[in-house]
Amino acid sequence: MIARKVMMNPFRKLLGQNPGIRARTFVFFILFFLYLWLEVDLRLIYYGADIITNFPIFYRGWDFFRDFIAYPGGPVEYLSAFLSQFFYIGWAGALVVTLQAWLICLCVDVFIKTINADRIRCIRFVPPILLLILYTRYTYHFVTMAALLAALLFVCLYLKVTKKSTSFDLLSFLSLSAILYYLAGGAYLLFAVLCVIYELLFRRRVRMGLLYSLFAAVIPYVAGVFVSGISIVEAFTDLLPVSPKILVYETRRRMVETVYLLYLLLPSASLGLGLWRIFVKSPPLSPSRNGEPKAGPDKVGRKVKKRPRRRASDAGKGVLSWYFRSSKIRWVIESSLLLVIAGSIVLPANDNKLKTLLQADYYAYHRMWPQVIKAYHRYPNSFLIVNAVNRALYHTGRLSSDMFSYPQHPDTLFLTSKEHLIAHWKKTDVFIDLGVMNMGESALAESMERLGERPIILKRLALINMVKGNVGAAGIYLGALSKTLFYADWADNYINSLEADPNLSTDDRIQNLRSLMLKEDYGFTRYEPERILLALLEKNRKNNMAFEYLMAWFMLTGQLDKFVHNLDRLDDFNYKAIPRHYEEAILIYEVLTGSKVNLKGRHISQGTQQRARGFSDITVRFPRRNNKEANTQAMLATAADYGDTYFFYYNFGSLLIIKK
Amino acid sequence: MKKFFYYLLPFGGILILLIGLYYYLLPGYVPVIDEYTSIDKVPDIHPDYTGVVVPPNIAPLNFAVREKAAQYYVKIYSAGGDSIDVFSKNAQIIIPIGPWRKLLAANRGRNLYFDIYSKNKTEQWVRFKTITNTISSEDIDGFLVYRKIRPSHSNWREMGVYQRNLENYDESLVLDNRFHEGVCINCHTFYRNNPDKMLIGFRSAKYGSSALLAEDGAVNKIGTKFTYTSWHPSGRLVVYSVNKVNQFFHIARNEVRGVVDMDSLLAYYLLDSETVKTTPDISKKDRLETYPCWSPDGRYLYFCSAPMLWSDRNTVPPERYDEVKYDLLRISYDIDSDQWGQLETVLSAQDTGLSILEPRISPDGRWLIFCMCNYGSFPVYHKSSDLYIMDLKAAQETGEYKYRRLDINSDQSETWHSWSSNSRWIAFSSKKGNYIFTRTYLSYVDENGKVYEPVLLPQKDPFFYDSCLKTFSVPELVTGPVRTTGEKLARAVRGTRKIEVDMPITMATPKAGVAPQSWQERE
Repeated sequence: MIARKVMMNPFRKLLGQNPGIRARTFVFFILFFLYLWLEVDLRLIYYGADIITNFPIFYRGWDFFRDFIAYPGGPVEYLSAFLSQFFYIGWAGALVVTLQAWLICLCVDVFIKTINADRIRCIRFVPPILLLILYTRYTYHFVTMAALLAALLFVCLYLKVTKKSTSFDLLSFLSLSAILYYLAGGAYLLFAVLCVIYELLFRRRVRMGLLYSLFAAVIPYVAGVFVSGISIVEAFTDLLPVSPKILVYETRRRMVETVYLLYLLLPSASLGLGLWRIFVKSPPLSPSRNGEPKAGPDKVGRKVKKRPRRRASDAGKGVLSWYFRSSKIRWVIESSLLLVIAGSIVLPANDNKLKTLLQADYYAYHRMWPQVIKAYHRYPNSFLIVNAVNRALYHTGRLSSDMFSYPQHPDTLFLTSKEHLIAHWKKTDVFIDLGVMNMGESALAESMERLGERPIILKRLALINMVKGNVGAAGIYLGALSKTLFYADWADNYINSLEADPNLSTDDRIQNLRSLMLKEDYGFTRYEPERILLALLEKNRKNNMAFEYLMAWFMLTGQLDKFVHNLDRLDDFNYKAIPRHYEEAILIYEVLTGSKVNLKGRHISQGTQQRARGFSDITVRFPRRNNKEANTQAMLATAADYGDTYFFYYNFGSLLIIKK
Repeated sequence: MKKFFYYLLPFGGILILLIGLYYYLLPGYVPVIDEYTSIDKVPDIHPDYTGVVVPPNIAPLNFAVREKAAQYYVKIYSAGGDSIDVFSKNAQIIIPIGPWRKLLAANRGRNLYFDIYSKNKTEQWVRFKTITNTISSEDIDGFLVYRKIRPSHSNWREMGVYQRNLENYDESLVLDNRFHEGVCINCHTFYRNNPDKMLIGFRSAKYGSSALLAEDGAVNKIGTKFTYTSWHPSGRLVVYSVNKVNQFFHIARNEVRGVVDMDSLLAYYLLDSETVKTTPDISKKDRLETYPCWSPDGRYLYFCSAPMLWSDRNTVPPERYDEVKYDLLRISYDIDSDQWGQLETVLSAQDTGLSILEPRISPDGRWLIFCMCNYGSFPVYHKSSDLYIMDLKAAQETGEYKYRRLDINSDQSETWHSWSSNSRWIAFSSKKGNYIFTRTYLSYVDENGKVYEPVLLPQKDPFFYDSCLKTFSVPELVTGPVRTTGEKLARAVRGTRKIEVDMPITMATPKAGVAPQSWQERE
């Protein structure tokens, strides 16, 4: 009777099911939502930090829509691109994913109930848990998940509308197939496979099953290759996790195995159950014409009476009678068990390092400097994070006095080594802040190739072109941005401003960046920090960031003669005293060369002089010439009190190691 | 009966709404303009289709009126045929394709007028000065094949060669790199504007660098990379350049990207014998040869050549890279005996003061159009690049190669021009209006070599280019659609079967397994 009602209206039945089950599902998804919103924070996926490379762009307007409706799978891709934009708002993104997970869960439940497999109903929670793992590991597989959901929804629809007559069922299958294939492309195959399994193993309609299999092979070929003109590979794999569009790219392949599991869960569970019923459990049940399970023939065709189902509570009554006595206790235990299992699977999957990288990028993008510096403590050995920390230190006026409180390396300032060759996105803002617009533009162009037309990239490209006075090109980037959901206002404001005043003479930021911008051109293939920073200072002596980065560069690379040579530039800025690290570098230089640096009336502070003496007193106890062990001992002895000084860095080098 | 009525009600409502929308919003609606005020101003329309020569077989030139108003009415007409009336409540003027075709077909060689009216809510209609364009007598080839790519710098993800039906707005893919990460597809070249015989070059770390030869539906992979290629009119051979192109960047120039040919030469591939050859005059060690172009009679090969100014071939950019200027040379050839003749200088960079690049001769053999820019071999990155024309017939008669700059040039780069099969149209790339994105323009060339105000390749949405982040480069006019499917071409890219050829001279061409360097032309 239950099964019949489910088939009459599966969703109504589910919504009106046992209040206990409903409550458990509700609690589960509330926690799911809160975890995604507050712990995972989908905004980090939206920004992506050069790690999520397949996050889609969404533009308002018919043109963008038209591109998607022209091929199978396009509508689901379009909808996914639209819904994904809500990741921009943490709670809204979490809500979208929660709804997706809930619907998948619901569809799995409908299928399980329809095939009369109440005992494995708990597997409906498996897809949401796997989905949570995908997000906990900061991967973006929203589109394939949306395609999976579309396929499952159509399976439910098929279960609802069929069971009238063979020809009606066949017609329904074909109609649903055609629609679903257009909507979800290759994910249609999941629908077809589930229908085939259902017909073959649960309704025992072998001919229908075989016919459906044939259609499953023919429909993508005809609709994809012949009608839509896409390639045969695309016709069968688009929107499936096995698509070459995913597998070709290393960054998109991350956690794809979990997506495979999600796709295979229901087919494998139902296939296993169906086969088990046929070959192990006797007799099998087959549904009647109206869908109600009835007694069916056994393997040799004998009519077998339907056996009454043995309730689990009957079996366990003896041993766990207390458990079955109270439905409340059962609810609490089962619900706790579900949450414990989910938690024990999801929580260990948490990738804190990756999260910290994403957070550091997010905070740096939003110029949330204290948060950037705080992020360092959660992942201290990352070049990318120290690079962001250096920028944060500069903007909080601490670079020249605190930078060696963090592990430094010549590569942390500009990420110039080969290992960070493709970290274009990370370099962009440093270049823009410095005023090297062309390098910023180049890094953004590379980022766009790697990450797609992300609004955050378009915004910066528009800015750079406005700074450079390329009104036409800026207008094109602004035009694209004005079609996005969340950056349109910013773009529209600038479009209006450009129309009113192409020079943007009242825009302080533009004018400030323009004043820093280089004018003298030369060709280059390799980023040479010293040459560029000196050129920037030549263009504008007041470029404070160029000065501090130049001095930091000299200190990091141990070029103290050049460092001292540029000390005069201190006069161009309003430093109250010589910054601490500069004092330390000056003292080292004086010790090394035995000559006094002319500080033009400035003084080395007492504190720095004391620290120099203290550091020296300790290190002289460890004669270190070519002695690795003594060097290590000296380093350990000074680390606690002097680890944040340039003395320490200069003597012991970088503690950061580039991972090859 | 009552039930039936309830069902009928919503359908009836929707029907009435649709009818209302049709008459009110769709182009069919024409307001009655009894009174209007004429103003002495040409309306600002976007794209600027003012004073242009229009191919009679082009898709409608949809545009937007950049005059603030609440309603717009446009009357499009010529001396004959029915006029087209477009009424719009927004600034976009979408011209119906059927009446447009009829109007243009009936008025070849005549003027085409746009009367534009606008009206604010409370005011009366205002009529602007009439915009006058011209419909040419000759058709343009029906299809355009171009490469679409973002203005990338070193790496690229999405890159494809597309074809556009010029009679409507349909665009379809010829070949892209969606299944081959990092594959660079470029340099599509057609034999005499024939879409059934073409070459497309590609470079890839995985599949090596080769050229795809598509001929009447069959696709063969030739095991060497063709860069700039020119078909001999006989169709029996192609001359191509092999370029060791290196990219570099400019720290302060407006166009960030720069490229330099560290080395280059010309070679030719004989289709029948499947062999590659060269001759000393087109592959000199101390010179850089590139951009080959056959004269339509097949007797001369035109190409560009510059002295190599550097001895260190590893430093990029090399010393004096901004002094390299290419001459335009030609060399005679006899295909029957496979013999090369004397080398002649057509135009020297010393005389022009500029670098001469991308020579393309009209199919009738009369006109040679080329680019000139301040220096270097890649004019699309130089805002100084302009198009010039030379009368080869006059040169043959007088022995003097005279040239002139075309009036169609903007203050940005104009490059990548190609001729239509009837020699009356050129398609070219221009960055007019912006420094970054190349767009395709179509210009009419009359019998006297006058090149008329170009038409921006029309799009259905008049604002299409305002937010389009792709560049359209190497627009090649062809007489019909490329019928070889992308899947077939992609299979050939991935396939192991290829025609092995031996280069007669050593040059740098990436091999399979070696990642493509960050060089090669981008647009």
